[in-house]
Amino acid sequence: MLDIKNLHVEVENKKILKGINLKINKGEVHAIMGRNGSGKSTLSNVITGKSGYDLTEGTIDYKKKSIIEWSPEDRALNGIFMSFQYPVVMPGVNNTYFLKAALNAKRKHVGEKELDSAEFLNIIKEKISELDMDMSYLKRSVNDGFSGGEKKRNEILQLLTLEPDLGILDETDSGLDIDALKIIAEGVNKCKNSKRSFLIITHYQRLLNYIEPDFVHVLIDGKIVRSGGKELALELDDKGYNWLQK
Amino acid sequence: MKIASFQKEFKKILDRKYFSSEVNPIRKNAFEQLVRTGLPSNKWDDLRFTNFSAFNKNTFRISETKDAFAKDFDYSNIGIKNSYRLVFQNGHYQKNISCLPDEIEVLTNLQYCQRKSWNIQQPNKFPFDLLNTAFMDSGMSLILKKNKNIDLPIFLIFFTSGEHSLMVSPRIHIELGTNSSLTLFEHHLGGGHSHFSNISTFISLEDHSSLDHVRMQMDSNESINIGNVHTVQDKNSKYNFSSFGIGSNLGSVNINTSLNGKGAECHLNGLSLSQNNQHLDTHIVTKHNASDCTSTQNFKSILRDQSSGVFNGKVIVQKDAQKTDSNQSNKNLLLSDNAKINSNPQLVIHADNVKCSHGSSTGEIEPDALFYMRSRGLDEKTAKSLLINGFASETFEKINDEEIRKYVSQQFERWVDG
Repeated sequence: MLDIKNLHVEVENKKILKGINLKINKGEVHAIMGRNGSGKSTLSNVITGKSGYDLTEGTIDYKKKSIIEWSPEDRALNGIFMSFQYPVVMPGVNNTYFLKAALNAKRKHVGEKELDSAEFLNIIKEKISELDMDMSYLKRSVNDGFSGGEKKRNEILQLLTLEPDLGILDETDSGLDIDALKIIAEGVNKCKNSKRSFLIITHYQRLLNYIEPDFVHVLIDGKIVRSGGKELALELDDKGYNWLQK
Repeated sequence: MKIASFQKEFKKILDRKYFSSEVNPIRKNAFEQLVRTGLPSNKWDDLRFTNFSAFNKNTFRISETKDAFAKDFDYSNIGIKNSYRLVFQNGHYQKNISCLPDEIEVLTNLQYCQRKSWNIQQPNKFPFDLLNTAFMDSGMSLILKKNKNIDLPIFLIFFTSGEHSLMVSPRIHIELGTNSSLTLFEHHLGGGHSHFSNISTFISLEDHSSLDHVRMQMDSNESINIGNVHTVQDKNSKYNFSSFGIGSNLGSVNINTSLNGKGAECHLNGLSLSQNNQHLDTHIVTKHNASDCTSTQNFKSILRDQSSGVFNGKVIVQKDAQKTDSNQSNKNLLLSDNAKINSNPQLVIHADNVKCSHGSSTGEIEPDALFYMRSRGLDEKTAKSLLINGFASETFEKINDEEIRKYVSQQFERWVDG
């Protein structure tokens, strides 16, 4: 699914990622853990195609194709989705309209018929109740006046609607209480299957209690310093990150 | 256009036989004042940042019989259908293609002045007001009697065209009697060639009356379109004004509202869309002269290319206007590095028990918002137009009449896609 080799990334001449190697196969759930400033968000932004990052070395292959030159929308249309750490507030942009436009862009891309409002509403109703959200969300502007938890749920609603092949959750757990965390994890777990992969980026092991990873990687200073199974997350929770630093 | 050219035209209009000579002293007063204080230019404090090149490079003349349209233009597909209709061609009211409800009394400007014994206080400072008073055409007055509610909007079409650079100066009076209500949709269009439309509208709202007023300016790209609006409000009256500027080379709305009766409400909204070398201005003065009044000013501009604009918004709260509730907001979206907006929101408060706020912001499309949308699979153009729509959408929501709202937002979408 995703194959990153020796990835070096700079932002304004500052080295952020210093040789990342990461291979995610179909159906696998990987977690990347690390402190603030370790390069976690840079990695997710680079995979989704945000501008402002210089890729000085290495490759990112997705479904066996290099995506380094791809626009963010091409990556999205081909199945990459990131749940933002800080979802952007867009006053005046209607949530339903936005989500419908995004879903239809994707349907058009794969040669499916675009949905009209009624058809779209039928699909969305189901997803929205899965996330214990109110239909009134849809009438509001995208993330405008949403609480931290509401914003994150809205991200997961988009994830469930757009049904990506690779879902990246960037600090989705930050700012969530335990109930909201459980609901979000359930939503993600429901759409986990043998064809869909996830990359979960987090500070804490907490989220991983609910979305079980197959692999855990520890990112320190732009490098993956250790990889292991889910027990590595527990170890980190217990010992912190210091023991892994040289 | 130089003052000498205006003088030549002024002499012509004084000689027009079909105007009552009683109007001449009013014209002369205004013109003399204009000569003393000067034509519209950057020398005026409020007009410091206005681009007058379209005004300076052209010479305009008043219309003559030969400028009358050979045949009436077909207006049936323009604007809204479900409405009464009033048509002005080159500033002149076309009775044969207009229709109005019986509840509304229609007078020409001169009949109206006559009824008021030629004793109407004329605005005496702003140069465009003075030009309108000096050159006012026959115009039109609409009088709605008390307790009458007109169910359909009154659709006013101003169509200006012609071979030469015409100057048209319609003078409109709107009077709403006690407890009456009306929706007015004013639409400005132009056919080619440069012209100078300088329209002054005087609105008087008696107590408990309510006017929804939408102004859509889609005049031709060569034209100058100036709309001067003067509104006087009695107690508990409500004025809801929305201005949409898309057309003209130099466009300006100059709004003066006076809240003279306790509990009056005045809501002024607007959106200007400019591109190429267009310049669109908004100048507002809201005067709170009585207590317990509410006013809002909510204006937005979206600017492309090397276009420019000005927002001058002023709220004046007089000493006796206690418990005033006033909010003023100006937001601007620049779609090009060469576009320019000058925003100047002002509050002048003489009362001590008031709730007033104001704010102004100017920015570009946020790269983070753009990336967010693209990361959901929307291409850059779609993402941008969604964000631009989002910026503008609240302006349309302020229009109460559904058909007008739909029409205005369609014109907006066309601009965004164009």
